[in-house]
Amino acid sequence: MNAAANRVFTGIKYFLLSLYLLAVVFPMLWVLYTSAKSTQEMYRNPLGLPDLITHPSAAHMAVFVENYRKAWIGSHFSDYFFNSVKVVGISLALILLLGSMAAYVLARFEFKGRGVIYTLFMAGLLIPMQLILIPLFFQFSDMSEWLTRMLAPPVRSMGFGELTISLHDSHAGLILIYVAASLPFTVFVLTAFFKTLPAELREAAMMDGASEYRTFFSVMMPIGKPGLVTVAIFNFLGLWNEYLFGLVFLNSDKLKTLPLGLASISMQAQYKSDFGLLFAGLVIAMAPALIVYLFLQEKLTKGITVGAIKG
Amino acid sequence: MTTGLSKRNSRAQAWFVFSFLAPPVALYALFVLLPTINAFRYSLTRWDGLSDPVYVGMRNFRSFLAPGSDFIPAIQHNLFLMLVPGVFILSLALMFANMIHQRIKGAKVFRIAFFFPNIISSVAVALLWMLIYSPTKVGLLNHFAAIWFHRTQPVPYTESSRLLTSLVPMTVWSATGFYMVLFLAAMENIPETYYEAARLDGAGPTTLFFRITMPMMWEVFTTGVIFLIIGGLKYFDAIWVLENGRPKTATHTMSTLMYSRVFEQYNIGYGTAIAVLLFLLVLIVTVVSRRLLQREALEY
Repeated sequence: MNAAANRVFTGIKYFLLSLYLLAVVFPMLWVLYTSAKSTQEMYRNPLGLPDLITHPSAAHMAVFVENYRKAWIGSHFSDYFFNSVKVVGISLALILLLGSMAAYVLARFEFKGRGVIYTLFMAGLLIPMQLILIPLFFQFSDMSEWLTRMLAPPVRSMGFGELTISLHDSHAGLILIYVAASLPFTVFVLTAFFKTLPAELREAAMMDGASEYRTFFSVMMPIGKPGLVTVAIFNFLGLWNEYLFGLVFLNSDKLKTLPLGLASISMQAQYKSDFGLLFAGLVIAMAPALIVYLFLQEKLTKGITVGAIKG
Repeated sequence: MTTGLSKRNSRAQAWFVFSFLAPPVALYALFVLLPTINAFRYSLTRWDGLSDPVYVGMRNFRSFLAPGSDFIPAIQHNLFLMLVPGVFILSLALMFANMIHQRIKGAKVFRIAFFFPNIISSVAVALLWMLIYSPTKVGLLNHFAAIWFHRTQPVPYTESSRLLTSLVPMTVWSATGFYMVLFLAAMENIPETYYEAARLDGAGPTTLFFRITMPMMWEVFTTGVIFLIIGGLKYFDAIWVLENGRPKTATHTMSTLMYSRVFEQYNIGYGTAIAVLLFLLVLIVTVVSRRLLQREALEY
């Protein structure tokens, strides 16, 4: 190929890539800078930069601050945010602990029923969340009733009053589902990972007199860190953005996670034609995951492709 | 992995294995396997969630095909949302992955940025596009239509009759980056020597792509297709949000229909039957494509 044709090719390539880059990034930038506008400014020109940037002044700064104040405090976005942090944080800790326990044993020990248990976990990779959603809803009612019946009498006799346990409309219930549903993928990746670690590690630790438990927690878990990080990032994004289960299992506004809170704010904002609130809310909802991504993007893309290519 | 050391402590080891497996297995059995079994049971009943369920055999499944059934349009919408965006997503992702694979400057920037939309929650993506499509003065698209094409009446892009079409660009926007990163990773696993050898034989970029890149990444490409199909079968969030939780026959997908039937019409048997069918479709797609892949691998 001659040099001129080559240059044209390269030019076209860069043009197309840049065009798509613009298509991807511009809508997000638009949300970001529009969140500094008042509704009047948006109506005047939905595309233009906010007055805060073109004519910086204290009044325009106040509009910007007010939009975020309305979203963060007025519309309980702070609650949604911390609910998400709590639910996803606890879920992740449990997923990593329980997932690596199961994976370690499945990868490194011979025992009866190992194949069956591993197969059952792998079968979970094929189960869509939709399938277990409805039965879980009714199972939660039964389980809450059963737990209350079991635990209320002793609590009452200890003088702590009436105890009612409900897995519905509670973070605990949602966390249980998130953890259980995340186990198949976690066990799948971590089992493969633990299999690659040398057998001598465990033997050496045990020679030194460490118990199996100590060996796991102080030798295997630290070495397993790369695998754990991959799994953690992957599960974080899935759970941080999860909508369907939250929709079914959380009803109280004060318990809602970010995706649920964002959806309910959008209805409020449209009803009141308060677009500043909506744009600011969107920024708050998009920012954390994007920041996590920017810091961990190499590990994250690796994790996703590992999951996909091996799956 | 039974060593002399662990044999001596075999009881302790058995206890260790049990204590490590029991909590995750119990949780998984109780909150994934048990509801899976119950889903199959529910799907064979007529049940309002309060009175005793009535066994009706396959009636729920047969009613999917009854005249006037809401299920047929719903599954058609799933097919639409899988095929139409799917074609664009796969073509764009392959094209961009191939471009970046050719070691261009700024590859990292493109790779990182194209992945952005995949990081944002589907609810946020839906609302972002709702604002772009908005028929109010905030809507960007109607603003462009007004200044470039002198359109005076704003178009309500997200009203029910137009929603599915409007979801196509949104879905392409949010998913292409993921598939591009997936394909790019597969391309980077192809040994450079293959390309060098072919170039010496005078192969051009088109030949390289179809004769080396595609065959070498075929398995990952197929995985991508499976992901797209499964994603299309499960489609829920964006429609639910953009229809304010009230999708109509014109916009229902299998998942939204399932939700409405169960939690609004208390028709639990019917709703669960949809979920069971969804599961069977996912299973068939995955198993069949894996089988096909294995056969191809044997032929080579």
